Amino acid sequence: MIQTINLQKLFSTEEVETTALNGINMDVKDGEFVAIMGPSGCGKSTLLNILGLLDNPSDGDYNFYGTEVARMTERQRAQLRKGSIGFVFQSFNLIDELTVYENVELPLLYLKTPPEERKKRVEEALERMSIMHRRNHFPQQLSGGQQQRTAIARAVVAKPKLILADEPTGNLDSKNGEEVMKLLGELNDEGTTIIMVTHSPYDAGFAHRIVNLFDGKVVTENFHV
Amino acid sequence: MFRNYLKIAFRSLMKNKLYSSINVFGLALGMACSLLIGLWVKDELSYDRFLKDAESIHYVRVNFPYNGETVTNNITPGPLQEAIAKDVPEVAAVTKFNWGDERLIKVGETAAKEKGHFATDDFFGVFDLPVLAGKPKAALAQPNQIIVTRKLAEKYFPATAGQYQLVLGKTLQLNNDKFYVVGAVLENLPTNSTLQFDWLVNWKEQEQDWMKTWGNTSFSTYVRLKPKTTLAQAEMAMKDIYPRLAGKNFETGVPVLQPITDLHLYADYKNGQSVGGRIEYVRIFAIVALFILLIACINFMNLATAQSAMRAKEVGVRKVVGALRSSLIGQFLSESILTSLLAVVLALGLVWCVLPTFNEVFGKQLTLNLAEPMLWLIMLVLVLITGFLSGSYPALFLSSLQPIKILKGVRLQFGSGPALFRRTLVVFQFSLSIFLIVGMLAVGRQMNYLRTKNLGLDRENVVYIPLEGEIANPKKLETFRQEVMRQPTIVSATTTMALPVNVQGSSGDLSWPGKDPNLQTNVSCMFVGGDFTKTMNIKLVDGRDFNLDSPADSSNYIINETAAKLMQMKDPVGKEVNFWMGTGRIIGVMKDFHLNSLHQAITPLILCFDGRNTSYLLVKTRAGQTQQAVADLNQLSKQFNPNYPFTYHFIDEEYESLYRSEQQVHTLVNYFGMLAILISCLGLFGLAAFTAEQRTKEIGVRKVLGASVSNIVGLLSIDFLKLVLIALVLATPLAWWAMSKWLGTFAYREDLSWWIFGVAGTLAILIAFLTVSYQSIKAALMNPVTSLRSE
Ligand SMILES: Nc1ncnc2c1ncn2[C@@H]1O[C@H](COP(=O)(O)OP(=O)(O)OP(=O)(O)O)[C@@H](O)[C@H]1O
Ligand SMILES: [Mg+2]
Repeated sequence: MIQTINLQKLFSTEEVETTALNGINMDVKDGEFVAIMGPSGCGKSTLLNILGLLDNPSDGDYNFYGTEVARMTERQRAQLRKGSIGFVFQSFNLIDELTVYENVELPLLYLKTPPEERKKRVEEALERMSIMHRRNHFPQQLSGGQQQRTAIARAVVAKPKLILADEPTGNLDSKNGEEVMKLLGELNDEGTTIIMVTHSPYDAGFAHRIVNLFDGKVVTENFHV
Repeated sequence: MFRNYLKIAFRSLMKNKLYSSINVFGLALGMACSLLIGLWVKDELSYDRFLKDAESIHYVRVNFPYNGETVTNNITPGPLQEAIAKDVPEVAAVTKFNWGDERLIKVGETAAKEKGHFATDDFFGVFDLPVLAGKPKAALAQPNQIIVTRKLAEKYFPATAGQYQLVLGKTLQLNNDKFYVVGAVLENLPTNSTLQFDWLVNWKEQEQDWMKTWGNTSFSTYVRLKPKTTLAQAEMAMKDIYPRLAGKNFETGVPVLQPITDLHLYADYKNGQSVGGRIEYVRIFAIVALFILLIACINFMNLATAQSAMRAKEVGVRKVVGALRSSLIGQFLSESILTSLLAVVLALGLVWCVLPTFNEVFGKQLTLNLAEPMLWLIMLVLVLITGFLSGSYPALFLSSLQPIKILKGVRLQFGSGPALFRRTLVVFQFSLSIFLIVGMLAVGRQMNYLRTKNLGLDRENVVYIPLEGEIANPKKLETFRQEVMRQPTIVSATTTMALPVNVQGSSGDLSWPGKDPNLQTNVSCMFVGGDFTKTMNIKLVDGRDFNLDSPADSSNYIINETAAKLMQMKDPVGKEVNFWMGTGRIIGVMKDFHLNSLHQAITPLILCFDGRNTSYLLVKTRAGQTQQAVADLNQLSKQFNPNYPFTYHFIDEEYESLYRSEQQVHTLVNYFGMLAILISCLGLFGLAAFTAEQRTKEIGVRKVLGASVSNIVGLLSIDFLKLVLIALVLATPLAWWAMSKWLGTFAYREDLSWWIFGVAGTLAILIAFLTVSYQSIKAALMNPVTSLRSE
C-alpha cells in the first residue's frame, strides 16, 4: 500500500524554476495495476521516480508500505529500494558488458542471495520471459523486445512487491509491445503491484485504473474493472 | 560479487582496447623504469656491505692544511700503516696495499695481465673474505705463496674443475720472474665491492726503500676498529702520529677515517671533509625514478578518470537494481587495482627482459630476485597505491551520482574540478619531460665539449705501452725508444711516469731563491723522458725541451704557465729552483695544458727529466697510419721484450675513462628521458583520444555547420598546446638551476644557453602536437552522420 499526500517537486536551475509536480495525492493498493498518462512534460517520469524512491519530493508526504520516506537520505532510500522495487525503462538500461544472465542476476548479487538460490531464480525468470536460450548473449546482440524482456526479468527476479515501468513499450513495435504488456499483466495477476507510465491508450487498457496528469496535477482517474 | 566485478573489469578492458593498452602499458613502462632504477640504486647503496663486519672497516685518508684550506690525500704513505699497527690500540687490524697493479701471470702457455695487490700480513684481519680452499691468512704471511680468486683458479688450472682444494700447491709465475705457490683460493669479489683484485702476494715481495718514507703517498690503507670503538675515538688516537713520526714538512698531517660502506658513494673530499660524490647521481636517479613512476601513475589515473565517464550508465543501472554506494566504490577500486596488478606483472616481465642489456651497459650484476620479500612488498604497495589513486576518483565521483540523472542521459557534468585536475597533471608531466629534455641536451653538450675540447696537448693518435720486463730497464728502454722513433709510421715517442691526461702526483717540495717562506707551493709533478713536448705536441712559450745530450738537464726543470704564475716569476727561464732532482734551472715554460679531468682547474706543473722513473712509452703515430704503427710496435715489442705479451692503449681512451661516471649518467639520462617523454605522450594520446570521443557530437555538429578539418584540429589541439606552454614556463627555471649545479662540478664547461630551452620547448610542443593531432585529425575527418547517429 503506497500513499502520497500533496506531493510537490520543484526543479530549480539558474534562471527558471519548474514545478514538475504540484500537489499529487495518490493511493495505490496492493495488487493494483495503475497506468499514468498525460502530455509530454506533465511530470509522469518525475512522479514515477519519486514513487520508486529514486528521488525525493520537494514537499509533501509519501508513505511507502507503512514507512514515511519523503525526507529520507539517498542512502536510506537505497537500502529500502533494494529488493522491494523493480524498474523497467523505455530504453531498457541493460549493462552492455554483462550477458543476459548476468544482467538478470545483478539484483540478487546485491541482495547477497546464496548461489544456488540465485541460479534457480535467475533461470526461473529467464524461462518465464522466454529468453533462456539467449542467456549468454550480450545486450547488443538482442532485439529490442528481447532486451525489454531481459529488463523485465531483471525487474522481477528479486520478487519485488512493486514494479515501476516508464513507457516500457515506447521503443518497441506493436507485436513486441503487446508481448511485454501481456507479461506485465501476468505478473499483476500473480499479485505484483504495477505502476506504469504510458502514452498508449491501448497499453493503458491493461491497467485497472488510469491516472491522468496535467501540469503536475492529477486531473482525472478512470477505473476499469 | 567480486567475480562479477572482475568480469566487468575484464570486459571493459577488452572493450576499450586502445585505452586499456595505453593505460596498462604506460603504467608498466613507468613501473619497469623505476624498478630498474630502483635496482641500480639498491646496488649502488649496497657497495661493500657484503663484507663481514663492514661497519668496523674504515678507509684511511690524510688531511693537510694548505694555504688556509685543508687538502685531503686519498692515498697514504707506507709508514702510516706500521705506525697505526704499533701505536693505536683502538685498531684491531690494519693493512696497506699498492694501488691495483696489473701483473703478468703465467702458467704453462696461459699468460695474461691480472689485477692484484701486494698486501701486508694483516689483510685478512681487516677483510674477512669468503674462502674456497686453503688458509689465506697463513698463505699471505709466506713470501712464496699467492692467493687467487676462483676466477683465476678456473682460468689457469681448468683441469681442477671446480675442486679448489686441488689448486692449492700449484705454482704460477708472476711478472715473468718469481714462481709462487697457490696457498688459498678466495671466492670472486662481487661487482659491488670497491675492492677488486684476483691475486694477493705479500707486501714485502715488492717493497722498496721509497715506500718506507712519509713523503711518498701511494698506498691504500684500511683499518678494522675494535668492537665498540667509534670512528672519532680512533681518529683521536691517530692524531699524534704525524707530529711524532712524519718529520719535517709532514708534521701537520691528520689521518681521517671513512667507513668503507661510504667509500663508493662519498669519495669527494673538500676542505678535509666528505662532501658526497657518486651519491649525488644516486639521489638524482632515485628522484627521476620516483617522478617517472609518478607520471605513469598520473596517466593511469587520468585515463581511468576520463574513461569512467563512459561507465556512468552502468553505475546508474547498478544503483537502480540495488547497488549501494559502498559496493560501487568497492567495484571501481578492485577494478583499478586489478589493472595496476596487470601492469606490475608486465613491468616485471619488461625488467626481466632488459636486465641483461642494462647490466652490460653499466657493468653491473643486477638481478631481479623474485624470492626477495622486499620486492614483493614494494610491488604490493605500488599496486595498492596506484590502484587506489587511480580508482578513487571514479569510485567516489561516479558512485555519488544520482541514478535518475544518469539514466535520463544527462551529459555527465564533470565540473571544473576534475578538468582542472587533469590539466594540472598534464602540465606536471610535461614539465618533467621538458626538464629531462633540457638535461639530455645540456649533459650531451657537456659530454661533447669534454670529448672535443682542445686540451693543449694532442690526445689523438697517441698510443701508450706499459713498460715492463726487458724494456723497463732504462738503458734498453732508450734504445727501444730510438728504434720506435725510426719507424716511418711514427712521429715521436717519449717516456713518462704518469699519463699526461691524468697526472696524480703532487708535492710541496718546490723551492727557489727568494721564495716567500709562508707561501705553500703544491705543484703537480711528472717524470718524463726525451721528446715529451714534441710527442704530446705541447707548446713551449719560452725556452726548450730537455736534451738527452745535455747532462745538466738531469737536474733542470720545465714548468707550465700556471706554475710560473704561482712562483711569481716574470721570466722564469734560466732561474734557479730546487726540486726532487736537486738544484737546477728552469729551461722551458709550457703553455698550460689540461693534466686532469676538466672537473679540475689546471694546476701548477713541474717536469723532471728522468729516464728511470717511467711506467709508459707514449707514441705519437702518423695520422691515418695508426694500424700500421701498432703493428710495427708489436713487432718491436716482440723483439725487445719477448716474454711479455704486447699491450697497448690509446690516450684518448684513458681520457674518456676519466668521465666514466658522467658517461653513464649521460646514457641513463638519455634512456630515461626518452622513456619519460614516451610515457607522457602515451598519457596525452589517451587523453586526446578521450576528449575527441567526448566531443564527437560537437565535432559532428560543427562540421555540419561548415567547420573545416583544420578548424577542428586547431580547436582540439590548442587546449593541449596551452598546457605544454605552461609546462615550459614552469620547467625552465628548475632545469636551469639543476643543470647549472651539475655543470658547476666542472672547472671547464659549456655553459647553458637559452637556445637549449628553446629547443626543449619546441620539441615538447612538437611532440605534444603530433600526439594530439593524430586524434584530432581522426575526429575531424569522421563523417558527421556517423558521429551524430551514435547519439
Ligand atoms: N532534472 C531536471 N531539472 C530541471 N527540470 C526538470 C528536470 N527533470 C524534469 N524537469 C522538468 O519537469 C517537468 C516534468 O518532466 P518529466 O520528465 O516528469 O515529464 P514526462 O511527463 O515524463 O514527459 P515525457 O512524456 O516527455 O517523458 C518538465 O517540464 C521537465 O522539463
Ligand atoms: Mg517521461
